[in-house]
Parts: sequence; structure tokens; C-alpha cells
Amino acid sequence: MPDALMLLAALVVTVMGMAWLALSMENHWEQVRGKAACPPATVKSLRVLGAVALVTSLVLCLMVDSASMASLVWVMSVAGAAVIVAFTLTWKASALAPLVFWTKA
Amino acid sequence: MATASISRSDIVWRTLAAVFGGYAFTWGLIAFGMAAMVAADMEFHDAEHLTAIIGFLVFLAIFLTAFAARNIVRVWLVLAGGAVVMASAAELIKNLIT
Amino acid sequence: MLQNFRQSMAWVHTWFGLALGFVLVVVFFFGSLSVFDREIDRWAIPASRFEPQPMPSFDKLMRPIFEDMQPLPQARAFTEPLVNGPLPDHFDKVKSWGAYTTHRDPVLTMFAGYEVPNAKDPETMIFAQRTVDPRTGAALPDDRLKVGSGFFYPLHYSLTFYWKNVGYWIVGFAALMMLVALVTGVVMHRKIFRELFTFRPKKTTQRSMLDLHNLTGVVALPFHFFFAFTGLVIFAGIYFPIGHTQLQALHDQHEIHEALETGLPHDPAGVPAKMASVDAMVKEAQRRWAEKGMAGDVGFLQVQHVGDANGYVSIYRAGTDRIALTGEGIHFKASTGVVMRVDPPPTAVGRINEFLTGLHLQHFRHWLLRWLYVLGGLLGCACIATGFLFFVEKRKRQHAKQGSSGARIVDALGVTTLTGMMIAALGMLIANRLLPDVMPDGWPLRGDMEKYCFWGTWVVAMAHAFWRTAPVAEGRIAPAWREQCLAIAVLGVTAPVLNWVTTGDHLLRTIANGYWPVAGADLFMLTGAVLAVLAARKLQLRAESKVTANTPVMEAGHA
Repeated sequence: MPDALMLLAALVVTVMGMAWLALSMENHWEQVRGKAACPPATVKSLRVLGAVALVTSLVLCLMVDSASMASLVWVMSVAGAAVIVAFTLTWKASALAPLVFWTKA
Repeated sequence: MATASISRSDIVWRTLAAVFGGYAFTWGLIAFGMAAMVAADMEFHDAEHLTAIIGFLVFLAIFLTAFAARNIVRVWLVLAGGAVVMASAAELIKNLIT
Repeated sequence: MLQNFRQSMAWVHTWFGLALGFVLVVVFFFGSLSVFDREIDRWAIPASRFEPQPMPSFDKLMRPIFEDMQPLPQARAFTEPLVNGPLPDHFDKVKSWGAYTTHRDPVLTMFAGYEVPNAKDPETMIFAQRTVDPRTGAALPDDRLKVGSGFFYPLHYSLTFYWKNVGYWIVGFAALMMLVALVTGVVMHRKIFRELFTFRPKKTTQRSMLDLHNLTGVVALPFHFFFAFTGLVIFAGIYFPIGHTQLQALHDQHEIHEALETGLPHDPAGVPAKMASVDAMVKEAQRRWAEKGMAGDVGFLQVQHVGDANGYVSIYRAGTDRIALTGEGIHFKASTGVVMRVDPPPTAVGRINEFLTGLHLQHFRHWLLRWLYVLGGLLGCACIATGFLFFVEKRKRQHAKQGSSGARIVDALGVTTLTGMMIAALGMLIANRLLPDVMPDGWPLRGDMEKYCFWGTWVVAMAHAFWRTAPVAEGRIAPAWREQCLAIAVLGVTAPVLNWVTTGDHLLRTIANGYWPVAGADLFMLTGAVLAVLAARKLQLRAESKVTANTPVMEAGHA
């Protein structure tokens, strides 16, 4: 797979990972799923999903560049992803609903 | 929340300690570190770079301490004393190895 | 002192953050622009709008140019006070030649260092510099200012305030204060993880500004910390010049020791000697790198003791594919072309230093990472700017009641150093397009005129900022922000239009040809103009809505 595509995939996966981590927090869960509290099992699985996604994106970065460059790309993409997730939660929280499609509204 | 006010003299003394005391102490630390590492057979530029890296982090810590410490006099003594001791030690080592 | 650790750290964050924030926002902004400094050079110097080239033939193209170069008036003026007596008309004793290129440079920059007769310090050298088209050897006129790499970039690390290095010291202290602000900020911010994604624009200005300040500060915390820290490490020789003062003796001892160890002579022999083919040396260097599995281009080439029997040529590989700037140095005897020395792999400390400096100075080829760096830099600007805005929002009503103009002054300085700074940068690029190719006699050189336009525009923006923040002294919002946003929008469109009118390189053409340096610069300015219009509209709406006098005052330390 060409480098550009792999880096794009890494960015997308990083955004998903940060979104899952955000959704594991009560106030952000509410923004997307309404007043119904998030069951503790779901909170845990969201944190795990988030962590796995971030590790996956790091691996994707490492497949494209040397370790020193890849780690910089990854750290910065986490920052960018956090901003994207924060702004999405603020202005269009419903856009994140598909990421938790298996849970009840 | 009630906040104790900070006096003007407190601000002045702590800022001077943080900036100038901190600079002097860091100078002493870098000088001593460089001299000691070179004496221990480290390459000169390696010693320069390593002590600079450590030095700036120490300067950061000193700056914060100058404002966090309860007793600013103690801070001044440590900074001034440390600077003099370390810079002198650097001189000594330099004279021994050149 | 204040009651506890958190409070004292909050005090430091507020006041040192505020004072040095005005410098830091300038450093961060021009640092962000400097990521694409060479691309901005292309925009500013249309004659250099061609594809990046590898280093050309030394023997055929570079050598005649080196032999022809002489120091420019500026270098002569700088060296005059360092000499007993007058400077010679022509400098004959050349000590070194150097040329440097990266994968982003169409043009090649060449340096020559000459001995200065009658200098107070015998080690004094004077330098000549020339920028050439590597395809032909044709020189770029000396008065063309490289707006990106020759102005925005030095502004970023020295404020171009060179007297006694004061500008470097101001930026250095600001960098240390950035580290202080980051640490104290973390200490103050109790819900750092819980509020990582929190931004509430619908709440009070204070709350939303604080949310944004925390967001932009925390998500890029490693970036902000590392850039401030590595900036200090890069200039450590200026801030703690111990190797050239207290421990000079150790430095000199090392130089002699190193010359013996490496076999690279420290001084000339005083015996003239012809130079062998440098092109052959370059070929050999590239062959050796390829043999190691590190095929690459020449990044830096230097000739020491030119024309002397002790002369040697050092060839370094461009670090395009790694963080380290250059490396794999190979040194050849100038008169015979024989390899004298291959640089050994760096030590552990050497590798750490290479990583730290390379991380900051970015010579690598990685367009995504470059844009991520720009994002980080702009997040830093946003963090500092929202810090100012929070400071003013929190205090302006109090100050209005007390009749103090503190909040107004901070707001005016905020406008000056944020929107005012952007207006100055755009004004300079517009002047770059409007000034005649050669200034008439008696006028300063074109490059100097561009700099005057930059500073002049900024002064005008500052005057406007101070005038139009008067309402802040009455606890209301300043129209200066909205007005300067509109100015940015107008200028941000004018510059690309002028680029089209004066060079014919409009966006459709540059994008179709894939000439991204110029297309990217135009697009960046147009995007900025759009954002400025949106910001102006938002400010207009906010100013029109009623602001109640009883908006609660918030403590930054409390969520």
C-alpha cells in the first residue's frame, strides 16, 4: 500500500481512537448518546478500543517511516485528532454516534 | 477562594532569584559538568551538549522553586552558594587537566 | 508567598505568561511560517520559481563562482570595527568555501570565508555569500530578500534584533518562560484528562476562552515543550558560552587533540597546492554512502584551507530521510582526492543532540509532518492568544469600575501582537509584489525596503490597536479585533491577486503545474482570509448581543 494511503489510514484510525477515548468520559457520552448513563462495561471497552486504535496508528506510522520520524508523526497526529474530536463534540456530536453503533441511545 | 496577597518586595526578590540566581547556578552546573566529564574522558562537544540539555531542565526547576519555596533566603543561599562552589570546582578541574 | 503551591504556580503562569506571551506569539507564528520558509522565498523571488536541484558540478560551475565572490557592503560594515586600520578593497586570502542545499531549495547558497588583515583577533574572518541558479550558475541579484528563510526565519529566533545578541536573549528567555508556563499550567489545571476534549463556545467568553486555552495547550503539550526546549539547546552556545569563556582552555585543547586524532589539519601549511577534481570526490562519497545502504544527495560541502597543501574537502550527506540534519561526513585531501577520514558513527550523546536539533530544524522530506508542525505552531499561537483574551475578559469589568486601563493595554498589545503581526507579514508580501525591481538611486535596497514596510505596517497596526481598544477601559469589547480581522481578510486576498498580476502565476496555473510552493502560499493566505472573515462576523454578532454587567468572574484555577 503506498505511503500516502497508509499515513491517511493512520490519521483516520487516530481520530477514531481519540473519539473512543472521549466517549468513555461521562460528559462526552452524554453529548452523543443522551442522558442514559454509560454502563461500566461499555466504558471499559471504549477505553480498550481507543488504546488499540492508537497503537494501531503508531504501527501504521512505523511501517512508513524510520522510528524517529514515525514517532513524531504519530504524536502530532494524536494532537490533531484530539482537536478534531473536540470540535466535533462541540458542534456536531451526533457525527460520532456511528462509532458506538452497538450501544443503545 | 481567599488568596493571600503577594508583596512587591516578594515579587522582586523571587524574580531576581529565579532569573539571575537561576542563571548563575546553571552556569556553575554546566561548567562543573563539562569539566568533570571531559576529565573523565568524554569528548568535549558531547560534554557540552549533555550538560546544556541537563542545564536547561535544571534552570526550569529552579525557576519554579524560586516561587514555590516558603523561604526565599534559603533559595538564594543555595543558588549563590551552589554557583560559586560549582564554578570554582570547574576552574580547579580545568587547571588540573590543561 | 501565596497560600499554597498551586496558587504560587498560578501566579507565575499568569504574570510571566502574560509578559512573555507577547514575544512568544511572534516566535510561534513566524516559527510556523518558517516550516515553509523556502517556499515563501519562491513566492517572494519569482526568478527562483523552479524545481529543487541537487548540488551542481563543483569543478565546472561552483569553482569559478567561488573564485569570483567578494564580501558584500553589509559584511564589510560589520567587520570594520573589528580591524585596526582600513579594510582592503579586495580580499585575497581565502580560508574556506562552503555550499549548502536541501531537497526544498531550487537555488544554491554559496559562502566564502576570507582572512581579515590587521584584525584585532587574528581568527577573524569576513564572509562573502552568493545565491545562484544551479542549472546555469547565474547569480540572483544581491538585493533580493529571501522573505522566508532570510527574514521570517531569523525573526523567529532573534526578532532580527542583533545588537549585542539582545534579540536572541529575549527569545531565549521567552522560551524558558514557555517551559515554565507549560509546567505551571499543568499544575493549575486540575481536570487535565477529564477536560481534554472540552470546548464550550456557547458559555461565557471567559469560559470558552479558557476551554480553548486549555485544549490548545494540552493536546500539543509535547510539541510545545519540545520546541521550546530544543530551541534553547540549539542556541546553548549563546546562552551559556562556557566553552568560549570560562572553559576556553578545554575547548582549545580539544581542537588540537581532534586535529591530531582525525588527521584534518587545523592550520594551513603555507605551501600552495592545486585542487584535485572535487566532482570525483563527490562521486566517491556517494558511492561509499550507497555501499552502506544509505544512498543520498550531498547536503553540505566545505573546502578548508583553500589552495593550500593542507587543504581538505568535507562532504556531508543531506538528511532528507531522517531527523539528523546532515551526516556521514567524508573528508578528502584537496590536492590528491584521497580519502583522509570517514566520520565514525555518532556517540550516544551525539545521536541525542542530533535528534533534538534535527527535530526542531526539520530538513527531512515529509510533507505531512511539516504540516503537522504548522498545526502545532498555530495551536501554540492560539493557546497564547486565548490566554490574553481570558486575562482581559476576567479583569476588564473590574478595571472599568476601578478606572484602571490595565485590561485595555493588555488587549491593545494582544491585538498588536496577534492580528497586527499577521497584517505586517501580509503587508510585507504585498510590498514585495509592488516595489520596483530595482530601487531608484538614493533609496534603500529593495530587500531593505521590504523590511521597512514590514515594521512600518506593524507600527500602524499597533497605533490602530491602541486607539480602537478604548471601550475595553469601560468593560466592553474592543472593535480593534474585528477591524483588524477584516484588514487581514482584505490583505490575504490582495497578496495572491498581486502575485497573479505581477508574475502571471495564478492558482489555476500553479496547481495545474503542480508548483506547490507558490500554490500553497497563495492557498494559505486565502484560507487565512476566509477564517478572518468568519472571525470578524462572529465578533460582530457578539458585540451586537447584549452583554450583562453581572457576568460572573471566574478563577482560572477552578474548573
